[in-house]
Amino acid sequence: MKKSKVIAINLMIMALILFFIIKYVNTKMSESNANAVEAFKKMTISAEQIVTNYLFDEQHLCDIWANYINRSADAGTPMTAEEAISFIRKAKISPSIYGHLIFPEDTLKNGISTHHALKDPEDYSVSYRNIDLFGNTFDIGKEDGVVNLTRAYTNPQNGVQSIAFMNYVKVLDETTGDLKEAILMRVEPVSSLEDKLVFFNGEYDRVEISLINKDGDYLVHGKSLKNSNFFEYFKSYNQADSTVYNNMTQEITSDLGAMKMLNSKGEECIISHIPLKSLNAWYLLAYIPARELVANTVVDWLLLGMVTLGLLGLLVFNYIILMTYNLKLSEAAVAANQANEAKSHFLSTMSHDIRTPMNAILGLNEMVLRDSHEEEILAYSESIRTAGKTLLEIINDILDFSKIEAGKMDIHNADYNFVSMLNDLVNMVQTRAEEKGLLLKLDVDRNIPMVMNGDEIRIKQVITNILSNAVKYTKEGSITFKAGFKEEGPETVRLLISVTDTGIGIKPEDMKKLFMAFERIEELKNRNIEGTGLGMSIAQSFLNMMGSHIEVESEYGKGSTFSFELVQVVKDRTPIGDYEETFRNSVLERKKYKESFTAPEARILAVDDSEVNLFVFENLLKRTKVQIDTATSGDEGIVLYKQRKYDVIFLDHMMPDKDGIETLMEMRETPGTLNARTPVICFTANAISGMREIYISSGFDDYLTKPVDPGRLEALLLKYLPKDKIAPASEEKEEKSQLIPEFIYGIEAIDVNTGCKYCGSDKVYMSTLEKYLENAKKNREDIEGYLAAGDLKNTTVKIHALKSSSRLIGALKLGDFAERLEKAGDAGDKATLDKELGELLDQYGKLVRELEPLQFYKKAAEAESDAADDRPVISEDDLKKAYNDIRESCDSFDYDNVSDIVESLGKYRLPENEKGRFEALKKAVDDFDYEQIPGIISGEEQ
Amino acid sequence: MLRFSRFKRSILITATASLMLFTACAQKPDNSGEFKPGLKTDTACSIKVAGNYSNFESLESEFERFYEYYPNASLNYVYLDDYNNTISSALMSDEAPDIYVTASWMLEDDKMGPVFENAEILSDPSLKIDLDCVRKGAKLTLENGDINMLPIFTRSYGMLVNMDIFEKNNLKVPNNYSELVDVCDKLKAAGYETPIMGANGTTVAGMYYAFDFPLFCYDVIKNPESAAPLNAMDKSAGEMMRPALLKLKDFVDKGYLNPGRCSTEIEDDYNAVIMRFFEGDVPMMLGSGDMVSGTLKRESKSEKFQSNPFKYKFYVVPIGDDGGYFLDAVNLFFSVNKNSSNLDMTNEFIRFIMREKELGNMAQIKRLITPTNDFSLDEVYSSLEGFPEDKSFSYQETGLNDAVNKEFRAAAYKVANGTLTVDEAVAQYGSLWED
Repeated sequence: MKKSKVIAINLMIMALILFFIIKYVNTKMSESNANAVEAFKKMTISAEQIVTNYLFDEQHLCDIWANYINRSADAGTPMTAEEAISFIRKAKISPSIYGHLIFPEDTLKNGISTHHALKDPEDYSVSYRNIDLFGNTFDIGKEDGVVNLTRAYTNPQNGVQSIAFMNYVKVLDETTGDLKEAILMRVEPVSSLEDKLVFFNGEYDRVEISLINKDGDYLVHGKSLKNSNFFEYFKSYNQADSTVYNNMTQEITSDLGAMKMLNSKGEECIISHIPLKSLNAWYLLAYIPARELVANTVVDWLLLGMVTLGLLGLLVFNYIILMTYNLKLSEAAVAANQANEAKSHFLSTMSHDIRTPMNAILGLNEMVLRDSHEEEILAYSESIRTAGKTLLEIINDILDFSKIEAGKMDIHNADYNFVSMLNDLVNMVQTRAEEKGLLLKLDVDRNIPMVMNGDEIRIKQVITNILSNAVKYTKEGSITFKAGFKEEGPETVRLLISVTDTGIGIKPEDMKKLFMAFERIEELKNRNIEGTGLGMSIAQSFLNMMGSHIEVESEYGKGSTFSFELVQVVKDRTPIGDYEETFRNSVLERKKYKESFTAPEARILAVDDSEVNLFVFENLLKRTKVQIDTATSGDEGIVLYKQRKYDVIFLDHMMPDKDGIETLMEMRETPGTLNARTPVICFTANAISGMREIYISSGFDDYLTKPVDPGRLEALLLKYLPKDKIAPASEEKEEKSQLIPEFIYGIEAIDVNTGCKYCGSDKVYMSTLEKYLENAKKNREDIEGYLAAGDLKNTTVKIHALKSSSRLIGALKLGDFAERLEKAGDAGDKATLDKELGELLDQYGKLVRELEPLQFYKKAAEAESDAADDRPVISEDDLKKAYNDIRESCDSFDYDNVSDIVESLGKYRLPENEKGRFEALKKAVDDFDYEQIPGIISGEEQ
Repeated sequence: MLRFSRFKRSILITATASLMLFTACAQKPDNSGEFKPGLKTDTACSIKVAGNYSNFESLESEFERFYEYYPNASLNYVYLDDYNNTISSALMSDEAPDIYVTASWMLEDDKMGPVFENAEILSDPSLKIDLDCVRKGAKLTLENGDINMLPIFTRSYGMLVNMDIFEKNNLKVPNNYSELVDVCDKLKAAGYETPIMGANGTTVAGMYYAFDFPLFCYDVIKNPESAAPLNAMDKSAGEMMRPALLKLKDFVDKGYLNPGRCSTEIEDDYNAVIMRFFEGDVPMMLGSGDMVSGTLKRESKSEKFQSNPFKYKFYVVPIGDDGGYFLDAVNLFFSVNKNSSNLDMTNEFIRFIMREKELGNMAQIKRLITPTNDFSLDEVYSSLEGFPEDKSFSYQETGLNDAVNKEFRAAAYKVANGTLTVDEAVAQYGSLWED
């Protein structure tokens, strides 16, 4: 996933978290705000109670004044206006409270006051003429308990904003002597009422209490509420149509409640309102800026900011961590790539290292199979071949898997013969099926086109894998290989391949493991079945690359059918005919290996640093009679390349000092060479992916992998050798081995086969016989000498050696006789030795005498060998130098070098008079008797 | 004669303006426009402003602006009932206002003595009040050169012009008398039967006062010797009214003005005038600056204006041959109670509002004319921008007293309504006004 996507997803999650927080906080805030508003409303109720109590109290005081005056009137002693005012002047406590007595009948609304006007100390008159306080009528309630309150107005006596509580009184009209009605006003500064409301500021810092009448005019005016009328104020600063306006006035003048509005600054504020009890015309308003009462209901920016910063911090932190991990992962990926490269290198090395000895094993085994006549040996050899091939298959699987994994596996389409492919497949599976006692059934459509275009090798691998699996997982029954086709297009057919077995089947739950690399189904149960678990995975990969896939039908315990379809281009529509019949015939006619051609005039050069490989190579082609020159290094090969004309050159890739590619380049750069057009085939154990391209691009014409497939080797030669040098295969009878002389078989005391078995080969057996014969005289003398000297211990040791060596050459009876005397010797049974040792030595002597003709055979063979010796003759100077080097090496105790020099001398033909010395040197080296060597060489010098 | 000559305080009309200007310059207050607090900004105080406006929202907005500098200050406007009678007492009470509204006439009224006894001399250079921002015609200076009243709003007299009608009829607002006559002819021809309307009354807000009283004043200023006989109600002085009355009579005769129709359709000189104008069919509506101040709030109350809004502006009537005359009249003054318990902060507030910006803001909200020369804030008054100084004057500059004012208003009303001829009105000068 791209970084930007990861960041975008993170930011989206952040946004969701923030959205949730906002929603949650807003919900909580809304609840909290609602609670705060409720609390504010409760405060309003308290304020209303205080104001109401105050107003009732003040009205009550006014009423007391009035009652006193009225009682006087009722008692028949009415007060005059002056007397009434005088009474009030005495009754009132606070100097700030005025008493006004106004006569309603006076249209000028004049009266008298308890206080003089501030402007004139003599003037106690008061006039409400210019103050719109009463309207046209004095609408004042006369009922007890009713608060008769004026609006806030300017006291005409002192210019102070005041309110007045009113009641009617009856006073004596001095001019008429009658009672007349007057209005008694208890006038108090508004500030005294405001003072009652100050304490609320302790609870709410910025609360402002206002009192308005039903028209919105203020009695008490909060600082923030502009205008002289609250309703006008509302209208001025709030976008309100008539409906909103009317609802607002209705709400405020009806009941307890709270509303939001904008103040003159455009800020949201909350107005809690409540009517004053028993004063229907007055309403208390509690104003507070919304921010003072409620938290921001939109979002708590601090919280949001901190959370955002936190989340961003987390994102950055995670991003850094992620980047750090990515960096480490990148480093790990680089390391993994390096490891993968190392793996490839390892596989390459492994390929080389395993295939090289495998070449020797299988090659030599092939020799055994060709040359041996003994059934037992052939059986062993066949097992080696089977195991070797299995091992090769495993190696090939791993290499293929490696190629597929590295994306270096390519499909190379070429024309191929379908019958040929079938042959290879059926030959492979037939052998294996027979070994397990399984019946191989073939069902091949006879109309399948003969030649098609496709990657024969990969198709063959796919089918081989399926067939191998079928054989592996089928204990009894049959394997049915079916090949059919249907027309696909004008030039294509769809091959229908299926393999049905009667094997163990696959459980449905194991189906998914079938094509997974390194997965082996029911591994515990099938642990004895060889395999890497790569076969089906590779097959599926190949088919996928070819646009197909494997279908599997299986019933657990009953068997499976693996099938696939593959579109192939048809090159030759000739039907293949009845393949089953052809195959049956071929099986019947199957016989031992026979060379496919002979080319006695052809000469090839094989360059490989491994002599064993060269030996195998030579022997594989021995019957083709091709002349083979070998070289064990690049330089040596180049010398030969310059000297002789070759028809084909096989050049090993991995060689010390100068590898195959370097050697080839040097060869190709040789001017005027006879081999300018000679095909050079890379002879390699390297089967790792991509190597083919390297070889071809490096100038090789073809390549041959080790272990060498004899068939492919001969096929390559058929391809590259000049046609005029190729002759049909020889009809000569098989050469019989001449290594063991016939008379040996005639010696009764020896079992040649057992001897060969013990020695490992005929050659070693012969060498062992020669040694046996050579040492016989000395051994006999030693035994007799030790016995004569009474040295029982050494006598027994020598008898023990006689036992071992006799058994090694197949003289089993003599060995058993020696063993019995050895035991007697070990037991200190000298008497038995004295008694029977003579007999043992007689039999030993008899056998030695019978073997003595072997000396003649050896000399004859050497003579023959000398005659056929085409080794170069060593010069006198070189020989002297070699002896000198040997002596110096002995002086410096470098016996390895001594051994190497002696061995290298063997590659040259020596003068007759030096052969004895060479043999003496060789024997000394073989016997590790290096102290003798300077003497042997000195003898020469003397 | 000017009655204020009888009082202890007399004013020296701006003949000494240049001297005062020099003085003011010598005490150069910071009038860069940006207010710089002169006291500690955390000063707490409670300042009360008393006045006769039931609502003084423009002042309350200044309170809010002042709070930006002095957040702990608390200013409060108090409306006093029967202001003219109660302000004297209020200033003597325990709850005396710190700032109070005054008017030029108060200087002439003995009963208002306590009002000015308590007034602080605001021209005291130590107060650093920017008096230069006030234009010549709005500045009221005592004889001794002191200033104790600061103009807050001014008004003038003229007409509201329905600009859409003029635009619709491809007419330009007239600049002189002949253009005015021409425009009226064209408007009549275009179907506007009475091109000029107003309140048919004798008040200063009535149409005759706005129509040609400034012309009368201008003539008096040009003939200063006429002031004394006019003030003395000398019958012969009535001749000074003739030119103005003749023009009025001519407009009535030509049907440009129709007193009868105005009486029928316009009940009062304030609300009715405005609402009638908003009906949208009156090209020119005569009135005072007070009329203009009421327009803004009444736009929303006029259904016709809401449905067919139009653009309008205030112009002085181009009654002279070379243009109109700007009669500058202070609508409202502020005085400071020198006994204020928060005198420093009170002066600081006065220093704050006595700047072009704040006075302009207040005038804009109230939609009255600012006492400064900056008319840019309210487009309605934009026609006054750069008005020729020689045609701008205050009533005080005429040297006429209030009685002359009333005599002219009565003469104009009677001539326009046909009660008197021009000759009769001129002849009856001194006995025209009826209470």
